[in-house]
Amino acid sequence: MILAAAMSLEAFTTHREVALLKKRHPDAIAELIGRYQHRLYRFLVRMVQDPATAEDLFQQTWIRLLEKVGSYDARRNFDAWLFAIARNLAIDHLRRRRGVSLDEEDDSGLAMVDRLSAGGPDALEQLLDFERGAMLATAIAGLPAIHREVLTLRFEEDMKLEQIAEVAAIPLSTVKSRLHRALESLRVRIEMGKDL
Amino acid sequence: MTEHEFVRAMLALAAADALDPTEQRRVDQHARECDLCRKDLETWAAYAQSLRKLPQPAAPAGMVQRTQARILQERTAAENRRTSELMLGALAIFGWGSGWAFWTVARAIIGGSLLTWLLASTVLVWMTAGTAAVMLGRSGQMRRSL
Repeated sequence: MILAAAMSLEAFTTHREVALLKKRHPDAIAELIGRYQHRLYRFLVRMVQDPATAEDLFQQTWIRLLEKVGSYDARRNFDAWLFAIARNLAIDHLRRRRGVSLDEEDDSGLAMVDRLSAGGPDALEQLLDFERGAMLATAIAGLPAIHREVLTLRFEEDMKLEQIAEVAAIPLSTVKSRLHRALESLRVRIEMGKDL
Repeated sequence: MTEHEFVRAMLALAAADALDPTEQRRVDQHARECDLCRKDLETWAAYAQSLRKLPQPAAPAGMVQRTQARILQERTAAENRRTSELMLGALAIFGWGSGWAFWTVARAIIGGSLLTWLLASTVLVWMTAGTAAVMLGRSGQMRRSL
C-alpha cells in the first residue's frame, strides 16, 4: 500500500512537472532529468553497451522530449513515452553504427562488466551477487538489441507487458514472444558458459 | 501438444510474471504434480530474480549538469535560427514593399516602357538578393567559427 501510494505520488509529481514543462518553466526539466537519470541511463547502457554513447543519447533524449512535449498527451504513461523516445534514438544509433539487423547476436561488451558496480548485504554475499550478476550481464551483452530491450524493461524497469509494447511500438503478443526467446537465449548462453 | 509440453513452453514466461491468469493457473496446477516442471520453474525463478538484481551501471558524475548545458545550448541555437528566419521574412516583406513603391513612383516621374522597367527591376532585385546571400553566408561562417 505504501509502495502504491509512493508510486501514485511520483506519477502526480511527474504530471505536474510535465505541465510546467509545457509552460517552459526552467526548473521542471532539471527535476525530471535528476529523477530519471539512473533508470534512463541504465536502459541506454543496456541498449548500446557503451557508456559514452549512452550519455550522448541520454542528452539527446531530453532535447527530443522538449521538442515534443507540446504534443504529449497527459493520459499517456510518462515513463513509457520517455523510454520510447530514448529507445528510438538508441535503435537509430545501432542501425547507423552497424548497418545490420537488430536481432543479430553480438559477442562484444565484455568490458561492460568492469564498469558495473555491485550491491549486496555483506561482503561475501556481495561478491557472489557480483559474480552472478557479472556473468549474467556478460550473457545479456551478447544478446540481440531487441532481446536486451525486453529484458531490461521487464526486469530492471519492472514495466508491464502493455507498457513494453508501448515503448517498443509492437503488439503485446510480440512482446511475449520476444521475452520468451530472450530468456531462452540467455539461459542457453549461461549454461554454455558454465560448461567452458 | 500435451499439457506437459504446453506448460514447459510457458515456464520462462511464468517466472517473468508474463502470463495471463488462465495460463498461470495451468502452469501452477501442472507444476504441483510434475517434478520436472516444478524444478525447471524454480530454475527460471532464480534467473528472474538475478535479472532483477543485476549490477547497475553508475550514471557518470555531472551528467545532469552536462545535459542541462546542452539543452541550453540547443535552445539558444534554435532561438538564433528563429530570430534569423523572422528577420529574413521581415526584410523580404520590407524589400518587396519598398521596391514596389520606388518603382511605381519612379515610373510615374520618368516614364518609359513596361518592358524596360521590368528588365531593370529584375537585374536590380537579383543583384540585391545576391549581395544579401553573400552577407548571410559570411555571417553564418563567422558564427560557426566562434
